Amino acid sequence: MTDTMTAAPETGIFTRDQVEILSARKGEPGWLLDARMRAHGAFADAPMPSTRLEDWRYTDIKKALKLDAFSFAEERGPISGAGFAAGLTALMDEAGESAATLVQVDASVVLRELPEELAAQGVIFTSLEMAVQQHPELVQRFLGTGVTPDDGKFAAMNESLWTGGAFLYVPRDVQVEAPFRVYRWIGEGGTAAFGRTLVVAEQGAKVAVVETLGSDDFGTQALSVGAAEIFADEGATAIYTSVQRYGRGVIHLSTDRLMAGRDAKITTLYATFGADLARADVQCRLRAPGSHVDMLGLYIADGTQHFDNQTLQDHLAPHASSNLLFKGALNDAGRSVFRGLIRVHPKAQRTDAYQTNRNLILSDRARADSLPNLEIQADDVRCSHAATVGQLDEEEVFYLLSRGIPKAEAVRLVVFGFFGEVLEQLPLEGVKQELLRVVERKLDASR
Amino acid sequence: MPFNEDVAALGLDEYKFGFKDDIEYLFKSRKGLDEEIVRMVSAQKNEPEWMLKNRLKALKHAQARPWPEWGGDLSGLNFEDIFFYIRPNEKVGKTWDEVPEAIKNTFERLGIPDQERRILAGVGAQYESEVVYHSLKAEWEDAGVIFKGMDDGLREHEDLVREYFGTVVPFRDNFFAAVNTAVWSGGSFVYIPKGVKLDMPLQAYFRINAEAMGQFERTLIIVEEGAQVQYIEGCTAPSYSQDSFHSGVIEIIVKDNARCRYTTIQNWSHNVYNLVTQRAKVGRHGTMEWVDGNLGSKLTMKYPSCYLMGEGARGEILSIAYAGPGQHQDAGGKVVHAAPHTSSRIVSKSISRGSGRSSYRGLLHVQPGAHHSRSNVECDALLLDEEARTDTYPYINIEDQNAQIGHEATVSKIGDEQLFYLMSRGLSEDAAATMVVRGFIEPIAKELPLEYAVELNRLIELEMEGSVG
Repeated sequence: MTDTMTAAPETGIFTRDQVEILSARKGEPGWLLDARMRAHGAFADAPMPSTRLEDWRYTDIKKALKLDAFSFAEERGPISGAGFAAGLTALMDEAGESAATLVQVDASVVLRELPEELAAQGVIFTSLEMAVQQHPELVQRFLGTGVTPDDGKFAAMNESLWTGGAFLYVPRDVQVEAPFRVYRWIGEGGTAAFGRTLVVAEQGAKVAVVETLGSDDFGTQALSVGAAEIFADEGATAIYTSVQRYGRGVIHLSTDRLMAGRDAKITTLYATFGADLARADVQCRLRAPGSHVDMLGLYIADGTQHFDNQTLQDHLAPHASSNLLFKGALNDAGRSVFRGLIRVHPKAQRTDAYQTNRNLILSDRARADSLPNLEIQADDVRCSHAATVGQLDEEEVFYLLSRGIPKAEAVRLVVFGFFGEVLEQLPLEGVKQELLRVVERKLDASR
Repeated sequence: MPFNEDVAALGLDEYKFGFKDDIEYLFKSRKGLDEEIVRMVSAQKNEPEWMLKNRLKALKHAQARPWPEWGGDLSGLNFEDIFFYIRPNEKVGKTWDEVPEAIKNTFERLGIPDQERRILAGVGAQYESEVVYHSLKAEWEDAGVIFKGMDDGLREHEDLVREYFGTVVPFRDNFFAAVNTAVWSGGSFVYIPKGVKLDMPLQAYFRINAEAMGQFERTLIIVEEGAQVQYIEGCTAPSYSQDSFHSGVIEIIVKDNARCRYTTIQNWSHNVYNLVTQRAKVGRHGTMEWVDGNLGSKLTMKYPSCYLMGEGARGEILSIAYAGPGQHQDAGGKVVHAAPHTSSRIVSKSISRGSGRSSYRGLLHVQPGAHHSRSNVECDALLLDEEARTDTYPYINIEDQNAQIGHEATVSKIGDEQLFYLMSRGLSEDAAATMVVRGFIEPIAKELPLEYAVELNRLIELEMEGSVG
């Protein structure tokens, strides 16, 4: 590092005092206050990432983000559906199948609905704040073990300042097919919100979470700094879908860690449509033999949107497999960065790992940067990656034209098919249909 | 696993040219790098004033610039402990007889004169920091082809050198380019006049001999419109215990409709830091091909580059890397598409064994306006045992909508199934392994000019193919 490593001066709301005040107000146990303070230390010590850092080479967050401009997102009491902002209601109305619902508006979880039969099976689905009070042992065992302050300035920022949050616990062998819905809504520009999600699927459990992030368009900058920790124990299946539909003006930075135990199966989908600048730092750890991870991503940028996906398929154990497919389309002056790494540790023999990133550039002002990396330290492995950047397949468009389909429609169909390959792999039929509609609308809006 | 032991026993990693000669050095500068050393180098060469000024500017830049912190581990490299200039002989030899006996012995053992007698067009051999031997076939001299040591090139063709020197790799480009510009010595100067097509390759042979000695060769190749040339550079160095440092800069200008192929086989002994900047600027419908083999050295960081500046220009980079125990080959290639309808291809094959680490590091950049550019990158890595490591770090930056870019990489080990199949056909395990490795590097090995570059093939065979079987 050639950057001077001087601690950033405490700016705006991001002070040590604020962390203490927050924790005291929530009446948190000592271990959690300690964790928050440690994280704040790491946050304050870390300089704002500059483009000289390899991880941030193509995303100039230092320039984009003015930390002293934000106030905390507001704390709110319970709200019923009728009190929701129109945009939030619209997001929720689009959702199909659902096992249970939790809604965070700004700093607080304002609504939680969990059917009695799931609660009776021992499923816990509540705000993370509430879980700290009601299930402290469980939360303490997992919270902060996936995403740690070492995961960067923004992970530490979230850990020191998270509020509300979602906690989902699925006991051994309990299998829930329909997705749990988590909504995070930012109500005002100029505010900063820190959502956090913790999901624990015990042995043989099955769970799916769909997290939808939204807001209106803002004239001033709003900040969303999120974190998610997903644990799938032996033989468990976990699906985690993040649908980012923030309005203009929002900067969204998330740090997510997903841990797969023996024979566990994890599927993630990151669907990125909104915000001015969005960056997801997603790592899947294959910690035990037999684990399998599918990482999916789709993004559509238009205007001057800038999307950055950083992924890691971390093979720590032998006989595990992972497969990544991220696809994006870039319109106007939209920009995407994909930096993916397959890392195979020395003991992780018999690894199967694949990584594919494909980008469609639909405008001459758009730009795609793709960095598909491999670091392989075991020899008995099958690993490959591929990246492509290109325009629409002219032959496909021509074929459709020859069938009498108008040009605009033909282009739309081809782009649609491009993303279909990603969505086909999502094992949630209803969510797939919802997302296809979002894709369609975003493409229409881009044209 | 018996196979691994067999591979080790084959001595793939042993350095075959680890002999060293006793030569009395006429001039030996002290260790370290500062203004006095730079002035001394320049004074020794009796250079024009502008070159000295250029050296000093570059030195200043290098001193102000932080050490590179990416890529390989450079912590073992200490500038205070390196000779930046040594000159073995006052005179550049014109015929083989004029070359000192001890130096000649080194070359005899590498087989250079034999080759020259046969087919080679010209030989520029760099022993230590000076070119000591040079020849060029008469008919090409008549055609205006210039193939000289860089020092002679500067003396005799100052205008040409001044026009092009540092235009492809400016000293500000990177830290080691700055160091090279400050203390460069030797290397080749090649000028191919308009329309002249050489069908036999030019060849330079480089050797480092003195302990802890930096070698900073500077090569400038100018291929005028419609001309064609192949240039071959191979390196071997005796083994020494103290780390040596090699940092060359190769600049190539390929003008409109011209064609250049530059082939390097790098086989430094396993204590050499090899940090090289190789770059070509390609004009309209010109073609640049880099064939880059990295077998030796402790750490190599080398990414031959093509800047496709003219419409329809084409760049091709073929790279083989072999990293045995203790070696790190950080190789790859870069292509910048700066004009429409340009195309490029990078094929990289790497083999890692023991604690060896081979990395592919590459850049594909399509600039705005470089529409209808096409590029394809293929990286394949072969791991010979469970300790070996391979990395792939491609950078793909696309800023034009009408570009088609593909990148693919695979990692594999020698497959039990492949071995089993070949052994079921009656091959021994060793022979089967050899065949698999040969098959693996075949797409690049077949691009090597077999008829011409005899020792090139010998090195490849000794280090990679012959030794395995």
